[in-house]
Amino acid sequence: MNHDLTVDIDPSMSLCGDSLVPRDSVPIVISEIELRSIPIKLQAIEVKAIGYQFPRSGGGIRIFRGGAGEDAVKPYSQPEALKPFDADAARQAATKARERIRNGKLTRIKPPADVVKLEDRLFYLLQPPLELLVGSEQLQFPFEPFPYQLDGIAFLFPRYAAVLADEMGLGKTMQAISTIRLLLCSGEVRNVLLICPKPLVSNWLREFSVWAPEIPVAAIEGNSPTRQWQWTSPDIAVKIANYELLMRDRDSVLDADQHFDLVVLDEAQRIKNQKNATSLIVREISRTRSWALTGTPVENSPDDLVGIFEFLSPGYLKTDMPLASIAKATRDHMLRRTKDMVMNDMPPKLYRDADLDLTPEQRATYEKAESEGVVQLENLDEQLTIHHVFELVLRLKQICNFDPASGSSAKLERLVADMEEVAASGHKAIVFSQWVNSIDQMRPSLERFGPLEYHGRVPHKQRDGILQQFKQDPTKHLILMSYGAGSVGLNLQFCRYVFLFDRWWNPAIEDQAINRAHRIGVAGSVTVTRMLMANTIEQRIAAVLNQKREMFDELFSDSASPRSVGMSREEIFGLFDIRSPKGRVAG
Amino acid sequence: MSRSPEPEVTIGFYTVDQSEFTGWTGGLLVLSASGRPLEFQCTLPVRPSRAHEILYGPTLRDYLIGDAIGALLVKRCRNLPSLLCCNQPEALQLESYCDSPVALVSEAAEKDEGPITDEMMPGYEWCELAGSTLRVAIERVDSVREIVTRLPNLPDLLEPFDRIREAINEAQKQIARVRAA
Repeated sequence: MNHDLTVDIDPSMSLCGDSLVPRDSVPIVISEIELRSIPIKLQAIEVKAIGYQFPRSGGGIRIFRGGAGEDAVKPYSQPEALKPFDADAARQAATKARERIRNGKLTRIKPPADVVKLEDRLFYLLQPPLELLVGSEQLQFPFEPFPYQLDGIAFLFPRYAAVLADEMGLGKTMQAISTIRLLLCSGEVRNVLLICPKPLVSNWLREFSVWAPEIPVAAIEGNSPTRQWQWTSPDIAVKIANYELLMRDRDSVLDADQHFDLVVLDEAQRIKNQKNATSLIVREISRTRSWALTGTPVENSPDDLVGIFEFLSPGYLKTDMPLASIAKATRDHMLRRTKDMVMNDMPPKLYRDADLDLTPEQRATYEKAESEGVVQLENLDEQLTIHHVFELVLRLKQICNFDPASGSSAKLERLVADMEEVAASGHKAIVFSQWVNSIDQMRPSLERFGPLEYHGRVPHKQRDGILQQFKQDPTKHLILMSYGAGSVGLNLQFCRYVFLFDRWWNPAIEDQAINRAHRIGVAGSVTVTRMLMANTIEQRIAAVLNQKREMFDELFSDSASPRSVGMSREEIFGLFDIRSPKGRVAG
Repeated sequence: MSRSPEPEVTIGFYTVDQSEFTGWTGGLLVLSASGRPLEFQCTLPVRPSRAHEILYGPTLRDYLIGDAIGALLVKRCRNLPSLLCCNQPEALQLESYCDSPVALVSEAAEKDEGPITDEMMPGYEWCELAGSTLRVAIERVDSVREIVTRLPNLPDLLEPFDRIREAINEAQKQIARVRAA
């Protein structure tokens, strides 16, 4: 079946072929791209600089032997002090120095806190580390210094006020001499005055010849015209005077034209009392730098340190300052090391407390003296002073050494027995006593050990010879010393035994005495025998000494809460269980 | 027979320290033949802007060490050293700012750069001083070798760069203290 499909087309609503062809053009307007530039102005990188020139080692002693012009100047008139320049030796020494610094830590000179100007601080910071100087061709040393000794030199070098307070035996002398040498070489100082106790003058001269042989050094001695010439001589770079001499040569040392670039006080505890004549004179000496050397900066109370600082920097410390404040204020000016801190490989110091019983004769005499003495003290009532107590203490201590009537002595018996062993083993010993009389009394029993004596009654001129004999003569096993003459500045490290026949009031003095033997170079352990009579005043004093030792440790530690220090009047009177009439002892 | 006096030989050390916090700080230390300081010049910390970083790109380090910082320090230096040692290869460019020969201390540079080889440095010769290897432009090597013979005391060429860094630290601490005050 067919159906027709019929569709009506509306041409106005339809596209047809003709519709696809445009009949006219349609313009499209494309606007031009507008170019715009944004300038970026790159400013020049701004660089600002600061700079400093440092003084050439201009006028001091020249010991450097470099080929450069700076180091070719000869010092003073000592041609023998300079070896001919040897470039090969210089290279070898430089190689050793290089190995040393590449294998270990470097010791740099650090500026002290009170050096404020950047230029001055940089001057110290930019100095070569000490390892580059020591042992190099520039600066020969007879022995390789210990690292802590280099630290000590780095401490002293930049300081105008310094206390080197190392324990005895760590080489304060060497550190001071080496630093003086460096300062002289660098032209920082030209004129040095070193003041020490009279018996130590020869020791200092000897040490200078070892550690700084090219430095012109002389002891101020001889008659008045000679000394006058020495005081003013510009050819003596380092002048060594003893404390006693200062009184006599006061006019010379305090002359208006006299100025020292550096004044060093050895055993500086000598000026702990601000009012004594020596303290007054040393404080008046015209100087630029001030150093104090002491193994015992505090012997009795922190006021000792105040006295020393009156020389270094007047008014810096006050006597009424709390202990913690003193410790804080002195930290940057004082360096103290003990053997325990720095000498890990040093042989030990072995203490042996010999608690002995008095002989029957001594006991009888002692008890009688003590009971009568205490009664006398009590009878004095308000008249009683601390001097009365001290008198009794000394009398009782002497009885602890020897019975005055019979000469009997438990200590001597023990000493003789111990010395048999010391001598048999070929060793040597030092015996310390407070009294020369006690030394006289012990000598006869010790004759077979070849005793030598070194104390206040031995003339100074003989002392060096005695020490040499003690060191070299194998039959001399023993030297009898008083604390006063033998406790400082002597090097007896060949001794392995020390006997404290009686105890000194001050533990620092005892330490000094012991450290005559226990010091650098000691071959083995040092045995220290402290003789102590049981149930006597000696035992009570030992307890006080222990308390003082605690005070000392406290001052030189960083402890923030110091305990009470000093010895009260009650404590002194308490030695005899009697009451003090006046309360606390000042200072 | 006495030696005839020779002109003084000095040696300089130049390094630039870069820190994220402070920027770039240059230091120039002049030492005597025995290693003692004669002069120290250092810049205040230089802080390039972001624009500098973008536009200088990888050449910024060359520019700062070899031109901007180094040139100023050399210009300010009153005691120009006989020989200037550096521990950054970029500093060799300083030779165009001063008459002194400039040498790269290989061992000092190797900490940051790794091993320094001949291939890395065409046009440079080497010579030895104080146990270290110096890389020097060929045309200057003879004069450097002559200077080296006159520095027998000098023990080490690495350590002085530490001194410069210590001094820069000290100067920056001082500046910080002043600003804080």
